[in-house]
Amino acid sequence: MRRLTRRQQLAAVALTVVALLFVSLDFAGGSLSNARGGVTGALGSLYRGTDAVFGPARRFVQGIPDVAGNRREIARLQQQNQQLRQQVRDQATDAATGRQLDRLQLQASAAGWTVLPARVIATGPGAGFQWTVTVDVGSRDKVVAGQTVTDGHGLVGRVVAVYASSSTVLLAADPTFGVGARDTRSGQLMLAKGAGSAGLTGAPLDESAVLKVGDRLVTGPAGETTFVSGIDVGTVYSVTRSADGTVRVSIRPAAGQTGLDLLGIVTVHSRTAPRPTIGPNQ
Amino acid sequence: MRAMTSASRAAAAAASILTSLLVQASLIGPLTFPVPVSLPALLVIVVAIYAGPGTGLAMGFVSGLLADLGSDHPAGVQALCWMGAGLLAGIMGGLATERGYRARGVAVLAAGIGAVTAWSVGLFLAVLGSHAATIGLAFRSVIPVGLTDALLALALVPVVRAVLQAQGVRAPRPRGELVIRSYASD
Repeated sequence: MRRLTRRQQLAAVALTVVALLFVSLDFAGGSLSNARGGVTGALGSLYRGTDAVFGPARRFVQGIPDVAGNRREIARLQQQNQQLRQQVRDQATDAATGRQLDRLQLQASAAGWTVLPARVIATGPGAGFQWTVTVDVGSRDKVVAGQTVTDGHGLVGRVVAVYASSSTVLLAADPTFGVGARDTRSGQLMLAKGAGSAGLTGAPLDESAVLKVGDRLVTGPAGETTFVSGIDVGTVYSVTRSADGTVRVSIRPAAGQTGLDLLGIVTVHSRTAPRPTIGPNQ
Repeated sequence: MRAMTSASRAAAAAASILTSLLVQASLIGPLTFPVPVSLPALLVIVVAIYAGPGTGLAMGFVSGLLADLGSDHPAGVQALCWMGAGLLAGIMGGLATERGYRARGVAVLAAGIGAVTAWSVGLFLAVLGSHAATIGLAFRSVIPVGLTDALLALALVPVVRAVLQAQGVRAPRPRGELVIRSYASD
């Protein structure tokens, strides 16, 4: 054990008094604010320099206990991110579906039909035809063969085969497809046939009919057609007259034949009220 | 020559105090939070063990006051407590050096005094009503501080001993006096 010298004892007493003086001064008021500011400023600038050296090591050591937790957190965030991306994609799909349903609703309301929404679940040859799509509604949904199919813009095709929960739709572009069409400008009737990727071709019943590029065609009567009348078939984009006087038109379909998604099968198209008669003014 | 040694010792003390305060703020404090381990206080204690109570007294007061003024609690608290720690370590250090304690023994002694110092600082601050300081916390932190101080002191003791033995810092040895007595034969 060491002993304090007389001077050390005096110094200890003096410094104790000074320290207690500091405590009481600082505790009573803010008379040491200048001294605090000076020390804090000097140490603060030195601390910033020191932190540049020790900071990375400190952060590394501080991060060690969280390594396992961070991995779990990263996995959780990745999963959450994936779910959010899926939600964004679903929202985009839902928005497109909503727009298609709006179109179908608008068309059905305007024409007085009842339309059954159907989603395309398969494409390709089916039921002996080249250009077909399979939709997710069938006989359980009261779908019957021969019903007209639209996408809200125009004619897509007709139902050719019905199963319990799915149906095959023959597309208008199929070479075996035929539909009666009426030129809305001239009123001329024609038979439009599928022409594959070229769309449709048509030949007017009246060979002297004058058809023009840009004429709009809608479904009309032709033979024993079962199509709902008044649906957009397409627009004439070329008219050719052969040497024997036969007129043939090429038609750009109103409904796209590829990229089909949500379709509407027209199930009811009968009038609910009797048609009014026309006579002399009473 | 003596003046030169005193200046070197003062410069070494100032440098070590400053370095320990900065390392405390940037490394030890954040890493040991919420255990109130203090590297400057431990440095004061270890230096005092080897250099004596006078050095411990002065170094404890100066470093404590600097730490007080750089913090937001009432100034003088750490100055008083670290000064007491330096004094205690200086007195008890005589026992350690007389018995030839090795580094581990000195580290244990320093850790014990460090834990008592942390407890006294916490208690003092709690009594003064300083924010985040409670009497319960002061008691609860004694053992964690003691254990952490022991680990830190194991690294600190050899460094302090080496610096104190360095040329220019080493304390001047007392001058030997040749006593010649004449024995007159009766």
